[in-house]
Amino acid sequence: MSFFGFGQSAEVDIYLDGQETRKKVEVKGEDNKKELLYLYYDGETISGKVNVSLKKAGSKLEHQGIKIEFIGQIELFYDRGNHHEFISLVRELARPGEMIAHTSYPFDFLNVEKPFEVYTGANVRLRYFLKVTIIRRLADIVKELDIAVHTLSSYPEMNNSIKMEVGIEDCLHIEFEYNKSKYHLKDVIVGKIYFLLVRIKIKHMEIAIIKRETTGMGPNMFTENETIAKYEIMDGAPVKGESIPIRVFLAGYDLTPTMRDINKKFSVRYFLNLVLMDTEDRRYFKQQEITLWRKGEKVRKQMHGGNSGNVGNSMSQAQQQNEQNYDPNESNNVRSQESEHLQEDVFRDGKVTSRSIDNFQGQDPNIKVMTQSSVSENDVEHIPQTKIENMEREAGDGQNDSSNEPEK
Amino acid sequence: MPSTQQISPVEEQEKLLDEALGVVKVQAFQMKRCLDKMKLMDALKHASAMLTELRTSLLSPKSYYELYMAITDELRHMELYLLDEFQKGRKVTDLYELVQYAGNIVPRLYLLITVGIVYIKSNPQLKRDILKDLVEMCRGVQHPLRGLFLRNYLLQCTRNVLPDVPEEESNLAEGNVRDSIDFVLMNFAEMNKLWVRMQHQGHSRERQHREKEREELRILVGTNLVRLSQLESVNLEKYQKIVLPGILEQVVSCKDSIAQEYLMECIIQVFPDEFHLQTLNPFLKSCAELEPGVKVKNIVISLMERLATFSQRCEGAPPNNIGDSDYPPGIPSNVQLFEIFSDQVASIIANRQDLPSEDMISLQVALVNLAHKCYPKRVDYVDKVMLNSVEVFQRLGLEKVESNSSVGKELQKLLKLPVDNYNNLLTLLKLKHYPALLQHLDFYGRKYLSIYILSNALEHETVIPTQEQVEQALTLLTTVISDQSDQPKIEVDLEELAEEQSLLARLVHQFMSDIPDQQYLILTSARKALATGGALRVKHTLPPLIFQAYQLAYKYKEIKSEDEVWEKKCQKIFQFCHATITALVKAELAELPLRLFLQGALAIDQIGFDNHETVAYEFLSQAFSLYEDEISDSKAQLAAITLIVGTLEQISCFSEENSEPLRTQCALAASKLLKKPDQCRGVATCSHLFWSGKSLATNKEEVHDGKKVVDCLKKGLRIAKQCMDIGVQVQLFVELLNHYIYFYEKGNDQITVQVLNQVIAKIKEELPNLESSDEAEQITKHFNNTLEHLKLSINSSESVSYEGLEF
Amino acid sequence: MLVLVLGDLHIPHRCSSLPAKFKKLLVPGRIQHILCTGNLCTKESYDYLKTLASDVHVVRGDFDDNLNYPEQKVVTVGQFRIGLSHGHQVVPWGDPESLALIQRQLDVDILISGHTHRFEAYEHENKFYINPGSATGAYNALDIQITPSFVLMDIQNTTVVTYVYQLVGDEVKVERIEYKKN
Repeated sequence: MSFFGFGQSAEVDIYLDGQETRKKVEVKGEDNKKELLYLYYDGETISGKVNVSLKKAGSKLEHQGIKIEFIGQIELFYDRGNHHEFISLVRELARPGEMIAHTSYPFDFLNVEKPFEVYTGANVRLRYFLKVTIIRRLADIVKELDIAVHTLSSYPEMNNSIKMEVGIEDCLHIEFEYNKSKYHLKDVIVGKIYFLLVRIKIKHMEIAIIKRETTGMGPNMFTENETIAKYEIMDGAPVKGESIPIRVFLAGYDLTPTMRDINKKFSVRYFLNLVLMDTEDRRYFKQQEITLWRKGEKVRKQMHGGNSGNVGNSMSQAQQQNEQNYDPNESNNVRSQESEHLQEDVFRDGKVTSRSIDNFQGQDPNIKVMTQSSVSENDVEHIPQTKIENMEREAGDGQNDSSNEPEK
Repeated sequence: MPSTQQISPVEEQEKLLDEALGVVKVQAFQMKRCLDKMKLMDALKHASAMLTELRTSLLSPKSYYELYMAITDELRHMELYLLDEFQKGRKVTDLYELVQYAGNIVPRLYLLITVGIVYIKSNPQLKRDILKDLVEMCRGVQHPLRGLFLRNYLLQCTRNVLPDVPEEESNLAEGNVRDSIDFVLMNFAEMNKLWVRMQHQGHSRERQHREKEREELRILVGTNLVRLSQLESVNLEKYQKIVLPGILEQVVSCKDSIAQEYLMECIIQVFPDEFHLQTLNPFLKSCAELEPGVKVKNIVISLMERLATFSQRCEGAPPNNIGDSDYPPGIPSNVQLFEIFSDQVASIIANRQDLPSEDMISLQVALVNLAHKCYPKRVDYVDKVMLNSVEVFQRLGLEKVESNSSVGKELQKLLKLPVDNYNNLLTLLKLKHYPALLQHLDFYGRKYLSIYILSNALEHETVIPTQEQVEQALTLLTTVISDQSDQPKIEVDLEELAEEQSLLARLVHQFMSDIPDQQYLILTSARKALATGGALRVKHTLPPLIFQAYQLAYKYKEIKSEDEVWEKKCQKIFQFCHATITALVKAELAELPLRLFLQGALAIDQIGFDNHETVAYEFLSQAFSLYEDEISDSKAQLAAITLIVGTLEQISCFSEENSEPLRTQCALAASKLLKKPDQCRGVATCSHLFWSGKSLATNKEEVHDGKKVVDCLKKGLRIAKQCMDIGVQVQLFVELLNHYIYFYEKGNDQITVQVLNQVIAKIKEELPNLESSDEAEQITKHFNNTLEHLKLSINSSESVSYEGLEF
Repeated sequence: MLVLVLGDLHIPHRCSSLPAKFKKLLVPGRIQHILCTGNLCTKESYDYLKTLASDVHVVRGDFDDNLNYPEQKVVTVGQFRIGLSHGHQVVPWGDPESLALIQRQLDVDILISGHTHRFEAYEHENKFYINPGSATGAYNALDIQITPSFVLMDIQNTTVVTYVYQLVGDEVKVERIEYKKN
């Protein structure tokens, strides 16, 4: 045992097949340090070699067997002792015996299932790693290698826009619209805010992307909100009738796909928070959940293969704002469905355009239809279906606004 | 000592601006350094930091502008760098997206625009989409000042890249003029909204200050229109169908009077007149829809003046319709310029309740100007304006407007225009509704106008050739001709009256027809009108009529072969004159009618129509009566009798039975003058009646009644001797001596050398007795001159013999 | 030394105004003296003359109401004594012998008179007589054909050069007459 300065010791090195060409991604480690890890996808075979080199030439290493494990586990920081392994696969590399020289042991985990994406949050960490153990009587020699896993999703079948009227009675009525409810991580949020009534002196308006991490269950549930991005979308006070464009590129932010109830241990969800601030530093906001998902890189490249590179990408996204629900990546079929859907709404709601402000306040069935139909089904639980949404209002004491000071 | 120092707002601004400019300087320096080192991301960060200064709310528009200029100047470096990189093929991936991560919208959009322009310049295929995107994204800045400058930056940057090709020639991605129009129109609408919004911010007591600030910023909004006007592919059709409706929609809907006034003016100034001509109706209709506070008048007038000037500028260019001079130059034949303006002005007046009445009239003024400049021959157009104006007053219920009110001033302007434009009273008379409009002015205004018209007619020597026109003209001038019912009851300023009446009197000479009968009618009409003027006026106005009448009589004599009844007509004329002069007598005048009677007598004698002797006698006797009854001042008496004598001397039409009493009467009157010297000189003058006077008895030859002549002179000597003043006596002797010599030389055999010697001796005897004085010297000179004359006469062989003369 | 001689304007009794062509010729600043034979009739006419030269001499014509104008006047210009009289007081009107009476009485080198509305300039017994005619060509009962005229005298030492301006038809004709004082 090396600890005591005698006995054989060995270096264990895990070599992954094709690691020279495998993509590496940054993943935040436990100590929030970013490291570059090899990236694997769900179902992908993980194979390679375990090289064991002896430190003292000529001396043999006695062991009770060598194994390699592939482990996917969730660590809850408040419960350090308990790691919840949702995957644990073992491969026997060597039977108990003696090792005289450097030895390579090939291994593979064929088409291994990796249902979740790696994640390091405030209170929880989800990681995958390979663990080689040379079992010995006194002290095992262990070598771990973390890998990164991204879960790719296919295009959501339903991806309605988020459209809603919100306001504060007699002060502010706005209608906002985000072109989708589900965005991939390199996506662009395109939308607009339409001001129906403005009786407060607005100073500016921003959109924040908030990550909400929930861990635990029942009484042990912890919720952590983190503002990922703060993005000013309007400067000054608009008047009634003004429509303000929204365009937020997501690629630049540190985002993960939305994770719901991962192994009954945690969830990571994202919200768009629309914040208006008035001249007396009162904040009015409305949160709206969006679903983030990861799109396959390869697919993306194919999509834009014929276009003039990234310039075209950003431009095509720019075009979307006038054509709601239109994603150039979506098939024409999806698009036509969407527009039909919209038409239907208008048809059902013949008075949409002629509503007066007064109607907002009452229990206007038309608005109910409107709200209901324009929000994706996933969000139903968060939205009261009765009437126009109330925006939250915070009394401004100037304290909580430090984050809104101009960037200097 | 106060701990904090108070600083003025101006200093405050300077301080803030200096601070901001300091930051800009530092960041710009860093930015350029990073660019030099090819560190684009860092450069962008510094650019963003620099642009963050534009987020301030503390600067006045003026200071903000300075800051903006400094910053955009620095951004040029970035643009040039990027352009250079792109041209070298070193494209920066996703730059357009990259700059959009800037958290604050103002720096983000400045960067986006800067990068967008680089994209467009290096790849025109992106032009259409990027332009659309930029103008749309700028909506995010709703703060008026920041928004205006941001969009101004957009407008400046896109200046040279706006697609300017017709739609049919265009490539979809590069865009065409339609895209440019949409782009600028949208930017314009948004800028205008921001600009208008400034009005409604802040406290109402700062309104003036705000309006001043808005004034300073208006050029930013107007630049959009300039840009539209610079698009060469905007042809008339595009302008008509897209550009103008787009602008007008925004202008009308913004409901802000400052913006409306400025922008309408802007439209007029930046777009070519050829476009305006084809879009008058929509433009003017919009004018009617503008806010109550807008001085629509100024806009409409500005347009009219521009088009009128345009038309005048086009003069000399080939006409649009060959052979049809009714169309003004430069104005397309399908554009009824005047009618359009006239109708639209009418509708503006009808629909804009708030329009001040003076503005209504100002609009009419502009219409007249337009009609005059574009359709100088269309008097009916101008008359239409007069009618419309009358109707305006009727609708307003304004019977009389005060001439010094603003409406009154405008009305006077309106009424003066045709006078100045035509410089022809006859053309003015063609305006049937002019007199009715004139009636809406108060007395002073009408009077002013009358004199204005009068002076104009005199200056341009307008001849008024018919009775009807004379009557019309005099109607226009009625305030000068007679007292008016609304005339203020104040004492007349005689000098002023004399001045204005003399103008009127001068005009009478321009009442002139080539046809004598017509001329007679003119004179009777004129007298009828002028006679209503009262005593103070007729003494100025009737004499010209009388002289005109005398001249007319001569004219009949001239054409007597053509007119059988010329003599009757002459009689009638002199009856007319007689009556007219009598009117002056009734006005308690004496000397003037006396002179006029004498002038009449001279004319009658010369013309010699049937029965003229009687008429001439009547005239002379009237003169005599006036002399005897009305003239009492001795100086005036001498002047009058001298004039009567001078006149009578000229007249030859009297038979002996008439001439004898007249001459005797003169001599008698002369001898009855008050002062002796006057008597003496009077009779001396009368002596000529008996020498060179003519009558029928002498067959119109000089009478040469030597005895009567000598009687007069003797009487003169007698009177002279009665003078107490020796100087006067000698003076009169010398004068009489001269008369003696005169008649002696004329061959009056009643005068002998002895007589002359006696008078000379008498003078020589008295002369030394004179006290030396200027007077005495004069008399001596006079006497010496007389002797000198005698010497000359003696020496010249042809004169009468002076044998035996002693001097 | 330029002396403008004119008279018998009869504005507004007999005429509307001076002929435009004359007005054009008569510009301020060139003329030193104006001698007017009368019948200005109105103050405006006098004021007009005043605009041409500050030194204006007027005698009373038969239609002048202004009693301040004298019947006769003597003005000395350079070496010349110039007599001024309207002439309606001289019977018979315009008669040279009668005018000579005035010349002797006034003891002048030049006698200027008007009233006949007919231009004349002649020497008589070594004296010079000028009648400038009517500047407006005003009506005269005794003479139907009136030609508007005025006179400009250029006085240098003992010489007077007289220019007569006559409006014949639409043209201004100028004649020159010289008179030397003995």
